[in-house]
Amino acid sequence: MRIAIEGLGLVGGFGFGADALRNALKGNLPSPGTLRFPYGDDSIEAPAFMADTAPLDQFVTKRSLRRIDHFSRMALLGAYGALDDAGRLDSDPARLAVVVGSGYGASATTFAFLDSFIQDGDSCSSPTHFSNSVHNAAAAHISISLKATGPSLSVSQFEMSVPSALLCALQMLRENRADRVLLGGVDEACAVLGYCRQRFFGAPQGPFDPLDFGRQSAVAGEGAAFLLLSREGQGEARYGYLNDVQMGRIDQGGLRLPEKSALVLGADGHQGCGRLYQSLPIQGRAHVCHAQAYGSLPVGPAFDLAAAALSLKDDRLYPGTESLGDRSLCCLKLAEDGNFGLVSLSG
Amino acid sequence: MSFQSPVAITGIGALCAVGSNLNECMESLYAGRRKVAAPGAFSSSHGTAWPVCEMAALLPGEQEQDAEPDLLRTSRLGLAAAREALSDAGLQAADLSRLRVGVIMGTTVGSAMNNEAFYRQYRQGEHPEMAPIERYLRSNPAAAIARAFALSGPCQTVVNACSSGTDAIGLGASWIRAGLCDLVLAGGADELCRVTYNGFSSLMITDAGPCRPFDVRRRGLNLGEGAAVLVLESESLHRDWSRNERGWVLGYGSACDAYHLTAPRPDGLGLKKAIAEALSGSGRKVEDLAFVNAHGTGTPDNDRVESRVLSELMPGVPFLSTKGFTGHTLGAAGALEAAFTLACLEQARIPASIGFGCADPELPAAPVTEVTEIEGGCALSESLAFGGNNAVLILGAKRGIGCV
Amino acid sequence: MATVAKLKSILIEDMNLEDIAPEELNADTVLFGEGLGLDSLDAVELVVVIQKHFGVEIKDMEEGRPAFQTIGTLAAYIDEKTAA
Repeated sequence: MRIAIEGLGLVGGFGFGADALRNALKGNLPSPGTLRFPYGDDSIEAPAFMADTAPLDQFVTKRSLRRIDHFSRMALLGAYGALDDAGRLDSDPARLAVVVGSGYGASATTFAFLDSFIQDGDSCSSPTHFSNSVHNAAAAHISISLKATGPSLSVSQFEMSVPSALLCALQMLRENRADRVLLGGVDEACAVLGYCRQRFFGAPQGPFDPLDFGRQSAVAGEGAAFLLLSREGQGEARYGYLNDVQMGRIDQGGLRLPEKSALVLGADGHQGCGRLYQSLPIQGRAHVCHAQAYGSLPVGPAFDLAAAALSLKDDRLYPGTESLGDRSLCCLKLAEDGNFGLVSLSG
Repeated sequence: MSFQSPVAITGIGALCAVGSNLNECMESLYAGRRKVAAPGAFSSSHGTAWPVCEMAALLPGEQEQDAEPDLLRTSRLGLAAAREALSDAGLQAADLSRLRVGVIMGTTVGSAMNNEAFYRQYRQGEHPEMAPIERYLRSNPAAAIARAFALSGPCQTVVNACSSGTDAIGLGASWIRAGLCDLVLAGGADELCRVTYNGFSSLMITDAGPCRPFDVRRRGLNLGEGAAVLVLESESLHRDWSRNERGWVLGYGSACDAYHLTAPRPDGLGLKKAIAEALSGSGRKVEDLAFVNAHGTGTPDNDRVESRVLSELMPGVPFLSTKGFTGHTLGAAGALEAAFTLACLEQARIPASIGFGCADPELPAAPVTEVTEIEGGCALSESLAFGGNNAVLILGAKRGIGCV
Repeated sequence: MATVAKLKSILIEDMNLEDIAPEELNADTVLFGEGLGLDSLDAVELVVVIQKHFGVEIKDMEEGRPAFQTIGTLAAYIDEKTAA
């Protein structure tokens, strides 16, 4: 059973909304902002694609965001954006499921929670920070805000978070456990993650180019990308269909690329994964990469799905102008440990 | 949801404070033994040393020289449960290499990048060793199991807070039905962690003594640690191998309260929805249930909502909470309780709900107070979580006991 | 009254009530439910906030309940504990 993509909700370094991402895919790439973090006695300002959640004002009151941190705000904006884009803000919340993937969860709040008891003692641990640091906080805030009483599921396994979340989202629809699923990925760029990146990789070597597989050029990003999904025939497939998702290990022969498909590679400027993309048997097959539009983050594959969906809608293999013709699209994410996630989409 | 075919469970592994494998756990449960004490692995400056249900520093199969393990304790707990489950199923590495084997594990602590020692040094402007971060990056609980057994199927770590273990088993069964895998290792794992300990203390829902689920004197939960893993088998594999199963996943349901980040919805709407979905998928009725393994954390709010829903939807069905034995093991809880539920169905009796002594006039239903014989081939296990998640499993006994 | 004034600014800042001006609050302002709209999670946060700013420990919610009515009752509770 194919799954229709009814709407997209996107926020990241490129701005907010499908048009903002489309603009970046056309080559009007955003300039990275900065992420400042302490580095020993120094502080570093690293380039990073940061997300602004101000457009949330369109959907919810300021008061309702009182206890909601930046991480969950990005997710909330993605979720509302996808429903709005599909014209389904009034969708039946009793049959709406929420499935969220995140590589690191609410990392800034996780460390804010540690701050609360490191500064003031264990008995001053902040319960608000603790509750918001739990990995399913974003999904919970979405379900609560939308009154969505269908299944609410959060998954976390670094770069494979989104393919894995999608696997369960498709199952929920195929098993008729929900009529619509808000499937999304969210990750934030915080100071500690910036510090860790700096320790592991140093500064980016030269300009950010994810297709230059041999070079460590990744620039961090943050944001949320959500897709509103429904069973074929039960909603308008404004962005085409999701056919299938596969996960497995490259070295065990599980990766089979469908004939006649163009590839959206999940490469994001990390040398360690770049080597794996480099050794793929993809000579002669059209392949593109969109990380320059949103940056390097574990849930990059959610943005790749959105970019593929826009390519299907516009019949144009971004960033170029050529038509897709009768080709399908495949989003392929490879992780340094040899795992892959492959999602196939068609118009 | 329409009827779904049962999924065979052919191996079980479980460990927690009251036992280093499933048999030991069940002996403790039936004997009414528990081990609740102030934390040994860490100290804190709280006015009260909130007691916990902790395991020995060395886990089953570990030696002293593993003192600097390259995996987080959560993943090592998961691995121990997976080893026991595979051995229980009589599966060797060679069997697994020929199959498409998926892994789905629930956790909370196992996914959190919150190493305190690293962060304290970072805050002081030092350059800490990166080893704790590298260890965290290696320790995703599902990925660690897949790597240890060289498995090639889908891999997922469910982070649905306290319902994660229940969700993982339900979703794993769905992978089998959908033909995504021949075999799935499904369960949950969580370690005791100072950060989480501070978190639950700050919510003021921990008991200063051993926890008392459903008792009028209940003051909160005790945190615990542990892991459990079930081996789920596809229908064709189960037919070809024709091995004895330990039980069946008959149904799964989940629903969100969409009410509050930390408080359960007073009318139990999400829980009721999840129970209805699980029952309808299993094709069973309330009358078929031999017993219910309740979430029963011992917090005032949780037990109130749960007892209301139990008395309304399943009046007269005996129920218990095993949190008094295990403590609240968070992401592992649903998996441990599924393992216990299967073992109870096998033995046709359930332990006394430890910690319960004095009924709460406000609660319309009370758990069993002694080891109780049960009749019937299926039981329900339920979990309620942060964020309003509710997850429910209907589990069936092996053939010959029930009527699958 | 000093405690009431201090509580007002602490509530606005630490409970993220920035949409409220200090002038809108007084000793009779009800904290929970229909009043300021605080809930059970705010209640436990408030326990921490009071310990941090006033050094007053509220050991459990049974003890805190009578104090957690209005800004005035909470201020009186804090004053009583700090005077002791």
